[in-house]
Amino acid sequence: MANILLNVLIAFLVGSVLFGLQRKIMARIQMRPGPPVIQHLLHTFKFFVKESSFPKTAAMPFYIAITAMLCVIWVSAVIVGPVTQGSLLLIFAIYALHKIVEHNAGSSSGSPYGKLSCVRAVFSAAAEVPLFAVLIIIYFKTGTMDLSQIISFQTANGPLIYSIPLAAAMFFVLILSKAPYSPFAITKGKDIISGYETEHFGLLRGYLMMSESIAWYMLLWVFLTVFIGGLNPLLYLLGMVTLSTIVAFINATTPILNPNHSIMMQVSFAIIGVVGSLILLL
Amino acid sequence: MDITILGQQLLGYIPLGDIVLYLAPLNLFMFASTLAFTTIIAISKTETQVEADFGTLKDKEVKVDQKEFKIRRFLAIVCGLATAGAMITGDLFNFILFVCLIGIVNIGIVAAVKQVDVLDAAFQYGLVAMIAVLPLFGGAAMILASAGTISLLEIVNIPTTFMMLFGSLLLFIGVAGETGVAPFYATKAEMFRTPGSPFLLIIHLSSLLVIVRVIEILLIINKPF
Repeated sequence: MANILLNVLIAFLVGSVLFGLQRKIMARIQMRPGPPVIQHLLHTFKFFVKESSFPKTAAMPFYIAITAMLCVIWVSAVIVGPVTQGSLLLIFAIYALHKIVEHNAGSSSGSPYGKLSCVRAVFSAAAEVPLFAVLIIIYFKTGTMDLSQIISFQTANGPLIYSIPLAAAMFFVLILSKAPYSPFAITKGKDIISGYETEHFGLLRGYLMMSESIAWYMLLWVFLTVFIGGLNPLLYLLGMVTLSTIVAFINATTPILNPNHSIMMQVSFAIIGVVGSLILLL
Repeated sequence: MDITILGQQLLGYIPLGDIVLYLAPLNLFMFASTLAFTTIIAISKTETQVEADFGTLKDKEVKVDQKEFKIRRFLAIVCGLATAGAMITGDLFNFILFVCLIGIVNIGIVAAVKQVDVLDAAFQYGLVAMIAVLPLFGGAAMILASAGTISLLEIVNIPTTFMMLFGSLLLFIGVAGETGVAPFYATKAEMFRTPGSPFLLIIHLSSLLVIVRVIEILLIINKPF
């Protein structure tokens, strides 16, 4: 239990600071001073102590339950990943549930901005889930979906990023799509205010932000674990900072794509990834 | 129990005649999540959708009336139970029957809506779902013909043949059509414009979890290189 709590706490703190780091790097590229690196963390804490209010148009108790569900599923991901090193397929299922919650957090409030974000979440699931499915290539390469066995395989045969680089690239596109301000972040585009988070205030927003931080940490952890192998905590941190920095450079220099273009690009990446990786394996 | 599926230790199985349910961590997680979401849906009200009124500065509120609410909630619960069944069944034929039931109730959930655009999307999705039945059952039949069984606990030990690979491909096309995911998602996404958030959740939930499950099944059928 202490191990789970410690890992969840690390995931939340590291994920929050990495988000802050991203905003700082993006700001400096755009010749702005930018917020402090701990800004995302401060925002999250701030929402936990602010007054909570609920729209009278919201679907109760669904509107509240959905934010709690988001937290629960990402805490589950920490248990399956860093704590027990369980099944990669289980993390895939957790990611699918994340898409469902993202979609319904938007539609449950009755807000038109949330609704648009909801429809975009359905569109983006059609592209992001195939991207995550690229991890299936790992099964064909290693013969297992168990994270501890995948780490052992890499210890014996070298990092998978060298043998299935396209799968790694596709997974990186998925990570990119989950970063705020990324070209694929259509569910939280500024044209729809804050997307599915628009009508969530106070404690509920705090839960959403906490879940996002854990989700970011987990996606980076999965990338490093399945493509590079089991690392020590310092190398994990270094890897996460490097990936977040690359993402920040991309986000700072590219606009958000329109939903159709975003989906088509991601689907194209997924097709190239699957076909290319299969050819490399054969 | 010493059966391992995709690196997961099987925790147990429940034989109910020819319906065999198996319990592995992935399947149990998805089963429990589906039941949790279905319970939330069963006890939730629907949201009031606020839309801009064209030509004025006023908003209009779109609500789900009580009669529509009741039938949609019933269908959403049926969809949740079918999805839960699809998550833990160890029988390929039962899996595709559950997927067909999910397709039918998904159309039903939005068919009660009185919005032309949404009904049009539901009609188009219905056409795709009906067409997808052929590869869905055809794929399962080919796997049965080549493996001699549709029990996943047996198929996991049978070497992959070309016909099993071809059957898997058809099965995947069938499931993609039946659940309305890529490349058939365009019409389905339009269905989500209607109010009734809790009921829409189950449509999305069933689609994505069935896709995760079918990937697990395809990996059981098709062994690594």
